[in-house]
Amino acid sequence: MADLNPLRLDGRHILVTGASSGIGRRTALMLHALGASLSVVDRDEAGLASLDAELCAGNGVARQVADLSDIAGIEELVSRCVAAGGKLHGVVHCAGIQEIMPVRTLQIDGWRRIFAVNTEAALMLGKCLSSKKVYAGHHGSIVFISSVMGMVGSAGAVAYSMSKAALDGMARSLSLELAPRGIRVNCIAPGFVRTPLFEQTERLWDEATRKAVEDLHPLGFGEAEDVAHAVAFLVADTGRWITGSTLVVDGGYLAR
Amino acid sequence: MSEPPAPATYVLITGASSGIGRDMAISLSGEHRLILNGRDAERLEQTRLACQAPDRHRCWPHDLADVTTLASALPAFLRQHDALVVGFVHCAAQLKVLPLRSITIAHAQDVMNTNVLAALEITRLLLRKDVNSKMLTNIVFVSSIASQFGARGFTTYCASKAALDGLMKALAVELAPGVRVNSVLPGSIRTPMTETIFADPVTAERLVKDYPLGIGLPSDITHAVTFLMSDQARWITGHQMVVDGGRSANISA
Repeated sequence: MADLNPLRLDGRHILVTGASSGIGRRTALMLHALGASLSVVDRDEAGLASLDAELCAGNGVARQVADLSDIAGIEELVSRCVAAGGKLHGVVHCAGIQEIMPVRTLQIDGWRRIFAVNTEAALMLGKCLSSKKVYAGHHGSIVFISSVMGMVGSAGAVAYSMSKAALDGMARSLSLELAPRGIRVNCIAPGFVRTPLFEQTERLWDEATRKAVEDLHPLGFGEAEDVAHAVAFLVADTGRWITGSTLVVDGGYLAR
Repeated sequence: MSEPPAPATYVLITGASSGIGRDMAISLSGEHRLILNGRDAERLEQTRLACQAPDRHRCWPHDLADVTTLASALPAFLRQHDALVVGFVHCAAQLKVLPLRSITIAHAQDVMNTNVLAALEITRLLLRKDVNSKMLTNIVFVSSIASQFGARGFTTYCASKAALDGLMKALAVELAPGVRVNSVLPGSIRTPMTETIFADPVTAERLVKDYPLGIGLPSDITHAVTFLMSDQARWITGHQMVVDGGRSANISA
């Protein structure tokens, strides 16, 4: 029997942003368990360091503390990742800022910060991976974590929605440009997943609101693990013929 | 190896005699007992013999265009084999490229029967307590990117696949949380069904150009279906999962 586990990622080096918590953390742990070596990036140094306790021994993990709103610094950040762990096969961009900001209180600095981390950093990481100095040359895969909020709307979510919708659009065009180099580009659009980011939002709700939002998901709220499984599927050879697409992982939220 | 206790649980795959359905059957045969459906008993049997542990699997020859007899045929088959179905993968599809003027209503109904109504009827039957003891938990329809886009000569195929995706979403909402329902939307895969399309060298060349990652393999679809059927996709329902080598993202195609 060939193809014993097509999800295996042995010998591949993947950069994961937002790796200290939530979806990024589960993703990093999952890809590492499948055999990938990692460059994990986050602002939160202690959060990154706490990954060690959950990682299995073996393939390497290089921690890089960085604030991704510093777009100009990303090229150098990626160079450090390559210097530490070798050329990259993939990038998974999980870092994201989610803030409820009614449009009348929206300040230009606020939405630019959201856009920088959620969207512009993604583009910069994609641009970096396409460089010969960075890309390992085969099995290339980029996954951006977008959101169902990129496809449907919600009052107060203007900046977040547009930052996530932009990722879906970016993946479509970037996938065409990078296909000749064997790099696939896709998004995963989660619904409401129990993460620290989500809990911030949840705290603003009363019980009736919480119940109403949960009821929008025919399968209830999701776990970061659910998204991490989908990332693994897209990064591995199982996603070999998938590019320019958005995989919705939302417990049925958008089907309603 | 001792015999498992009866009744045994199965995954039902329609359209299993060739193409994507056949590849899927062979790939899933290690992990699941299978009920293989197709029109041609002989070719179904060939699929069964190509599976791992062929003795574990059952062939159910039935032409799905004959949708009205399913209500008696499927329960009878399950009773006869003391079988319960936990997963249902609908791969069966008819594709005949025909300009609108050549389409008859009888042909259109035939296509709708095989591609859509059989999926609805089989799902309905498998959810009946007296037929399947509420054992069904997972459904995947193999749709097509033709559910999203038009193409010359594809009227009945496009209509049927769009209907299949609509059915999928409605079922996902109605059957949650007990049953997950999703579809996979392949682009052009080389199979016996698409052979006539690839036989024309001009069309074949254009198709290859339209697909940023080239033409797909049946295994690409099998991987997606396997993922959706697994617990790894436990929070995915109602999703049209595009697996098309970048075709739908490509504006210049």
